[in-house]
Amino acid sequence: MSAWGFYVATLLIYFAVDLLSGIALNLQFGYAGVVNFGYIVFQAVGAYVAAVVTLGPSLGAGSYQQYILGAHLPFPLDLLAATAAGALLSLLVGLFSLRRMRRDYQAAVLLIVSLIALQVVSADVPLFNGSNGLTGVGWPLGQLFGVTATQSPWLYTVWSLVVVAVVFVGVSWLSRSPWGRSLRAMRDNQGAASAMGLNITSLRLQVFVIGGAIAGLSGGLLVEYIGAWSPGAWGYAETFVIFTAIFVGGVGNYRGVVLGVLLVPVIFLEIPRFLPAIGYPGLTASLEWVVIGLAWMLCIFFRPRGILPERRLHVTPPGALEPGALQPEAAPR
Amino acid sequence: MPGQLLSSVADGIVVAAILSVAAMGFTLQFGLTNVLNLSFGSVMTIGGFTAYLLEAARVNPWLGLLLGGAAGAVATVVLGRGVLRQYARRRTQLFEMMMVTLGMSLVIDYSIQAISQNSIYSYTVLQAAPVHLGSIVLTPVQVGIVILAIVILVVAEAALKFTKMGKALRATAVEPSLARSCGIQTGRVVLITWLASGFLCGLAGVVYIISTQSVDYTTGELFLPLIIAAAILGGVGSLKGAVGASLVIGIVTEVVAGLGAGGYSTVAGFAILVVVLLLRPGAVIAGDEDRQLVL
Repeated sequence: MSAWGFYVATLLIYFAVDLLSGIALNLQFGYAGVVNFGYIVFQAVGAYVAAVVTLGPSLGAGSYQQYILGAHLPFPLDLLAATAAGALLSLLVGLFSLRRMRRDYQAAVLLIVSLIALQVVSADVPLFNGSNGLTGVGWPLGQLFGVTATQSPWLYTVWSLVVVAVVFVGVSWLSRSPWGRSLRAMRDNQGAASAMGLNITSLRLQVFVIGGAIAGLSGGLLVEYIGAWSPGAWGYAETFVIFTAIFVGGVGNYRGVVLGVLLVPVIFLEIPRFLPAIGYPGLTASLEWVVIGLAWMLCIFFRPRGILPERRLHVTPPGALEPGALQPEAAPR
Repeated sequence: MPGQLLSSVADGIVVAAILSVAAMGFTLQFGLTNVLNLSFGSVMTIGGFTAYLLEAARVNPWLGLLLGGAAGAVATVVLGRGVLRQYARRRTQLFEMMMVTLGMSLVIDYSIQAISQNSIYSYTVLQAAPVHLGSIVLTPVQVGIVILAIVILVVAEAALKFTKMGKALRATAVEPSLARSCGIQTGRVVLITWLASGFLCGLAGVVYIISTQSVDYTTGELFLPLIIAAAILGGVGSLKGAVGASLVIGIVTEVVAGLGAGGYSTVAGFAILVVVLLLRPGAVIAGDEDRQLVL
């Protein structure tokens, strides 16, 4: 396998994982207006759980890594466990953070949750091996066929794209369903939505948990490819990369999400690799973040609804007349 | 053990003093403009680095403290007038404005990272032999920081209560349109608020690095969640509340650290905010959606 092939395959896998994140955040933020600034925590818990349930029993405090829940689960169970972990944690977090309060407070609280989680996991070594993190994670599906993820990255690419496709179909069906329309109603006018009989708190919790489940799945998918996971991989700034992506692409529609994820985490963060190195090592990385911040600000300034904005929703109830049919003899222009 | 506890409480008061300088600035700004300013931490870092550069140029550290505050004031006015106001003209809403400040903080932080070559700089000024009072050990600088915080609280409260500008500020915070029709120049009030809160922010940055003895590009950003927690816990716009909440957070974090759970000290501080949200959601809900930007 050539280095280029490996690189492209890895990039596609990252694209798949980021697309899952984009889909989850777009469902929460774009459709329901729930601002999840702690998104990365739910991805992280999925990654940790997928790691420990495949690594086998923990070797205990004296060994090079220790963790809880050690097991050797076969293929579908590892990703299911990751998904369930994401859902469960988001249920717990959602129960106290989704109370009705100002949106900016809520965002701040979730940001704080993200910081708390990072500190707890770093400080508590018996949980997930502290700040050193877990290594040596395998790929259970590949093991069925006797291959590893790094040996056959193309196989893993196909697999992750399949996962994304399934989630994508499911979520876009959900967002076109009556449930999805009630999410938009809640986002656009909370008062009116609850006057129509929608249970705002419950809807927000539902969308938070579904997003959390997708986040957990994306974490599992990522960790089984890269094989290691540690607190360094889920700083709170990672959440903002995905937020920038969906903001730039366009919130509230999936074309925008795909475009944004392609532009920001994939193309944009990869371009600097091919530029000649300037200054001291690490300068390019800092400048990358500066440009992300600027792109974010310019986008809010010039295209607050993204490059591909959400289309207005037209719903024609069954049996209704076509719009405009009732005023046939409008004044001639 | 009581001695240990006492010394933890004393340390907690010092932390609270640093936190309260920042939280007073934050709550003043937030209470008036309604922008949850996530670039506040970055401006703190600017203040800190200004003091560091002045120290390297052998400027008197006390002057450095003041100039660090001034740098914070200038930066805040530039951001408030130059950036946030432009967005307000385009009718950016409350929440999007917070997103804008987040973008500003990324730009500032990583510009500082690029310029400072991603290094940690040590800032050791005003250090002197600690004073022992029974089991309490404090350095004169720490005592100075506590006094500074008290002075700021008293001066700021008095300014809000008794000066014309202070009254105008309170009126604008409560009802901007009514204030405007009463002849208050709200634009000037906002400008003064940016200046004052920016000064406190820069000052907090310097005080913070005096206490930690080092500065790097994450200095303010790591402190920001505690500041937000203190401001929300104390009730937005209330200086006394911010100081009280800072005391609670500061003492709890230091007592937890003193009990030997150093890794969890900040977690404990945040946990207070979460508990308050759980038990008394009414404390933070007031004035839900009808708040408007004042810029």
